Amino acid sequence: MSTSATAERLRQMSWRHVGSRVATYLVLALITMVMLYPFYYMSFNGFRSLDQYYAGHGFSLTSWRNLFKTLPVARQLLNSTIITLSAIALILVASTTAGYAFAVLRYRFSRLVFLVVIAAMMVPIQSIIAPEFVNLANIGFINHRYGAILVYAALGAPFATFLMTVYFRRIPEDVIEAALIDGVGYGGVFLKIMLPLALPAMFAIAVLQFIQVWDDLLVGLLFLQSPDVRPITVGLATIPSQHLLDVPQLMAGSVISALPAIVVYLIFQRSLISGLTMGISK
Amino acid sequence: MLFTLPSLALIGSLLLLPIGQTVYHSFTTWDGITTRWVGASTYSHLFNRPEFTQVLENNALLVLAIPVAILFPLSVAFLINSKIPGWRFFRSVFFLPTAVSWVVIGFIAVRFFADDGILQHLLRGVGLGSLHPNMLSHERTALVAVMITFVWSMFGTNLIIFLAGMSTIDQELYDAAKVDGAGSFTVMLKITIPLLRRFIQFTFIVTLITAFTALFSLIFVMTRGGPGYGTTTLEFFIYEQGFSTGDFGLASTAGVILFIAVAAVSLLQVRLLRTED
Repeated sequence: MSTSATAERLRQMSWRHVGSRVATYLVLALITMVMLYPFYYMSFNGFRSLDQYYAGHGFSLTSWRNLFKTLPVARQLLNSTIITLSAIALILVASTTAGYAFAVLRYRFSRLVFLVVIAAMMVPIQSIIAPEFVNLANIGFINHRYGAILVYAALGAPFATFLMTVYFRRIPEDVIEAALIDGVGYGGVFLKIMLPLALPAMFAIAVLQFIQVWDDLLVGLLFLQSPDVRPITVGLATIPSQHLLDVPQLMAGSVISALPAIVVYLIFQRSLISGLTMGISK
Repeated sequence: MLFTLPSLALIGSLLLLPIGQTVYHSFTTWDGITTRWVGASTYSHLFNRPEFTQVLENNALLVLAIPVAILFPLSVAFLINSKIPGWRFFRSVFFLPTAVSWVVIGFIAVRFFADDGILQHLLRGVGLGSLHPNMLSHERTALVAVMITFVWSMFGTNLIIFLAGMSTIDQELYDAAKVDGAGSFTVMLKITIPLLRRFIQFTFIVTLITAFTALFSLIFVMTRGGPGYGTTTLEFFIYEQGFSTGDFGLASTAGVILFIAVAAVSLLQVRLLRTED
């Protein structure tokens, strides 16, 4: 009697278990649709002409041809690439050297300087946009790619320096001391020991910054004013207004500007995740 | 000392020097070329503008989106964290929007909320066509549209942070709770959420700072701050004053207020972290 009651209870429990599993997957499937819909929307409509877009069926490359007539697409993709990679390079140089100094060398006042760098994280670009513009204009850096590169590097440097400092602090001191006894000197320790050990952190910073700089609008919008020096994201956002109602052309532009960052994301997802969470888990 | 030079040069000349200039110019009239010292009355002028009240109100309303932007991913993180088959797939898909520019997301969001857009088609499809929301053409609803898009975009980022947080919790705690006969809801309330406190605080601060300082692209593409001043937040107001009106002095005054807001929130974060150590 009691065994059959237990069996009955077990059966009910496993049905409840299956039920909750099904419910979980239904919820996740629904969210998947909501998350993927924009990607579906832009990929499909980018390959339609305006007439096909209104009709809701058919595919063609018309909108791609129109896009290449409206924007210097290849040129702007190249601009994006140059600006993003240069900014990343500067950020890596600044953050690894400073992180090493703060974590290992610890000179007089280095703690104070570290706090100043951390404090710079709190400066939003909008707050300084007016003087930044005037300063760069005074030295002739507006409308040149290097002006924007420097601004992006400065915006990314504080957080990257913080991450590198935290990362270098975790490296055991005896590793460094042993190398110093071997007579490689502090410069050698940095190049031969610290940098190779820091590769995962440098990678995480690079991926994080790639997405940040590639996707940004404000800096490119203000500091790069002619279409042939602008990155693709800025080019797309400032597409001449007579094209704003040409939805398929906008979607083609969205696809081409989003694709590089999505590819980087898909390949380096793990680094991006660790970059985002490194700051919290100490 | 030499090693800190590149970092200090960048940060000093391009962040710290200009924030000093912003503070100075916030007390002046400035068109980019000529400056005239006015004093603290620039601030009362700014606060006396009727549109500035609306700007601050918009920022206050943005704060209302933050609990939503945290609770959604938090509850989904619970679903995924039970390590059901395929959880990696869902994590990748949900995190994907993080890689996409708000310019692109904004263009699609416009199609979603526009008159005769996707939202209206969806509602018509389920028999609610009479609602006919035309969200982008009214001040308050346009702000809600921006907020919904913002919550959608932050979902993946916050989810990843919560999942990272949950992976730091010792599995033995869960097992012990199960032995004690605690249901999954009790476990969530009594074990997971308290242990995630640090991560929830972190996402709160990050989401708040993002809402105040990183929505520019979204607003630029979706509404240009309109209709009226309906979606002009503080950061967008600074851009407009500086680069549409050419009033660099006023842009600096508003810039100081944004800086104070962000600094206050960040210091709160430092404080919270410290009390736990």
